[in-house]
Amino acid sequence: MNLPDRTVLGNGAVLVSSALPSNPFVAFRGSVPAGVAAEGDDHGVAEFTARLLLSGTRRMSAAKLSDRLEGIGATLEFRNGEELLSFQGRCTRDTTAETIRILVECLARPAFPAREIDRVRKELENDVRIEADDTRSRAMRELARSVFPKDHPYGRDPKGNAERIRRIRRSDIVAFHASHVGPEGLILAVTGDVDRTLIDEAIAAPLSRLEGDNVGAPRIPPPPAHKPRNVSIPMPHKTQVDVAIGAPAVPRSHDDYDALNLANLLFGRIGLYGRLGRNLRDEQGLAYYAFTSLDARTAGGMWSISAGVNPANLTKAVASIRAEMERLRQEPFTPDEVRDGRDNEVGSLIVSLERNAEVAGELHRMEYFGLGMDYLERFPDIVQGLSDGRVREVAQKYFVPSASSIAVAGPIARARVSL
Amino acid sequence: MATHVESLDNGLKVILRPIPDTKALSTWVVYHIGSRNEVPGMTGSTHWVEHMLFKGGGKLGKGDIDKLISRLGGKMNAFTDTDYTMYFETIPASAMDTALMIESERMRNAAFDPKEVEAERTVVLSEREGAENQPEFAVEEELWGLAFHVHPYHWTAIGYKQDLATLDREPLYRHYLRFYAPNNASVILVGGFDPAVAMQHVREAFAPLRPEAPPDPMRLVEPEQRGERRSDIVRPGPADLLSAGWHIPAAGHEDTPALIVLSTVLGGWRGLVPFAAGDWRPRSNRLYRALVDSKLATDVGVRQEIKVDPSLVIVNVTLAEGASLDHVEEVLDREVERLKEGIPAKSELDRAKQQVRAWARYEQDGVTFQGILLSVSEGLGAWDFGESLLAKAERVRGEQVRDVARRYLVDAHRTLVRFHAQEAAA
Repeated sequence: MNLPDRTVLGNGAVLVSSALPSNPFVAFRGSVPAGVAAEGDDHGVAEFTARLLLSGTRRMSAAKLSDRLEGIGATLEFRNGEELLSFQGRCTRDTTAETIRILVECLARPAFPAREIDRVRKELENDVRIEADDTRSRAMRELARSVFPKDHPYGRDPKGNAERIRRIRRSDIVAFHASHVGPEGLILAVTGDVDRTLIDEAIAAPLSRLEGDNVGAPRIPPPPAHKPRNVSIPMPHKTQVDVAIGAPAVPRSHDDYDALNLANLLFGRIGLYGRLGRNLRDEQGLAYYAFTSLDARTAGGMWSISAGVNPANLTKAVASIRAEMERLRQEPFTPDEVRDGRDNEVGSLIVSLERNAEVAGELHRMEYFGLGMDYLERFPDIVQGLSDGRVREVAQKYFVPSASSIAVAGPIARARVSL
Repeated sequence: MATHVESLDNGLKVILRPIPDTKALSTWVVYHIGSRNEVPGMTGSTHWVEHMLFKGGGKLGKGDIDKLISRLGGKMNAFTDTDYTMYFETIPASAMDTALMIESERMRNAAFDPKEVEAERTVVLSEREGAENQPEFAVEEELWGLAFHVHPYHWTAIGYKQDLATLDREPLYRHYLRFYAPNNASVILVGGFDPAVAMQHVREAFAPLRPEAPPDPMRLVEPEQRGERRSDIVRPGPADLLSAGWHIPAAGHEDTPALIVLSTVLGGWRGLVPFAAGDWRPRSNRLYRALVDSKLATDVGVRQEIKVDPSLVIVNVTLAEGASLDHVEEVLDREVERLKEGIPAKSELDRAKQQVRAWARYEQDGVTFQGILLSVSEGLGAWDFGESLLAKAERVRGEQVRDVARRYLVDAHRTLVRFHAQEAAA
């Protein structure tokens, strides 16, 4: 991949692009700093706003908007996250200008019609109920609440709760949109069947017309100190138990990030879920899935383990997870393991950047976290520069049973499961 | 796109699609074996065999596949469907021989170590139990079980729990030996390679493999359904669900393109293989307008199950709180009647076709997705099935949409499952 182009438009929006001519369409991914972190105490309003951006503009009803988009075969989605309101879509080269015009109109002039607010309210209420009935969602939500306590934006449910969903008014949504959605802090990453002319005429031009005096990215406070908790959520009508274990990790810009990312890969991701998967799935047959995740954000991060197990195997599975975490001290990653991990990360550049959607996501991450447009060129050197000792050291520092919280949800009794 | 097709003497079909400007390679092997080839008592065996084929054999020790692909930064997986099973690796193109070696060993030399078979029993049971946690799975299993009394589409690819609990190593291994042979498989390569060179490497890897007797043709034919079948599931859950399935013909039938357009008008289009669509949901279709816009439902989708044998077109609805299943069913009936009574407006038909056209491009997003599309198509009968089907959908007229609605969306051929969500005990 050539070095991506980066342009700062007159209104402050940043446009990043890279051609991927072998894929015959255009994909984009973007964001504005209007996620959960921007809503302050007004819990749930960011989610409500994101879900309403396809519900009509001052010029087009919701129905006309979807007719227009789908009439040209384009897709457009808005999604709320802890830090960002993100958007993504696909279109053909010929329909790019029209798609970006619609995107800009949705961002700039949403109508927030009352009937759509009612519809989204019902949708949110149903989603809260559906997630409350989902063992994995329950366990992960409770884990996030433990790792990021005191209503920190990384720990709370972006949807708010049933009470908040009932109480949010149109005026709350309009005010949130006016304050937080605009060109300031906007990033748009574009890839696929693009060239300079298309970028300038079909994308930069309409994007430049986006106006607003939004406040830009909010300062996200560092997460409060984590006190490990054990939480059991009995759901007797379910068949399987979901286990979520985790602890604070680091922000994306932290010096430990790259080594921690490699340690995470080796512990619970590489191949069929690294050391963890080999033990729980391959050797003992305890779980269909048992893997780890590393979420690194601006002000903090979380490392977590997810596993789905039969209730009869819960104690054994948790003990095995603990044993694997402790093994990192007694039998640290071997030089061969670390070498395999390095090779995997470097090789995955070719494999993971073969799709438009993945390239657009990577370009967006590079800009958002300030990694630099030459990040992918530097990446192999970054990875090769991680010593075996450094990778072992961060694994031992962050993957610690006594410093981790655990949440289990499923057909279990109220008795607590401890790590 | 240029595609090179050739067969080896042992019956293996080879499909090569070179993509200039890419350094990645996606290698797929599709076997014409799915849960439709199973018999009662052995349900889920095809899927279990798929799991066993990651555990080595021949030149590959346990864990070797994992290691070889991981070192390359590659991705790999496998999928068991009712009609076919497919395996893939996406790796740097320079490592083609690694993928070909893995797949040729997998085709004939899997170990099926008894200890590993036993360890995998609880893994497949766990996969099923994870699905059982979702009310949608109960609805899906009920729908197919009710709609098909004779044909093996009666069960889903994961199989029944009691079969998974009791199946032994020997029938699984026999199942493997019987169906994993070059004359029952196709190798598909998509990515950065020279076709002549790739063909030579494929030959070296697979030509020595011995064919088996061809699998018996499917003899089971589902008799015509004569009267609607209904089921009510009463279970703890977060929302009421409604699922309706109508019998449709096999993939190769001449009505399939018109049914694609019908499905799109009714519920939108998310591609032939829904992997590429992710969470995106179409909104400009009739059921979204009638059910979600009107706040009776929070989600609705139409799935045309394109299969080797006659199958189903399925509507799934997640009801909003307070909406009644009876009312939603009435609205669904009304929309189905509308399709039978009138011809879709030109603008609606154009929009449906534009969606199908656009998704035909989006599904070409990189070598892995192109590999999926070619493999699914090959599993359904021919590697170019998907591409030619979508081209035929372009030519569908409004009258044909109305006609297939009249022919297939009839009450006597419908199966309806209603999930009545109960409050869960704390």
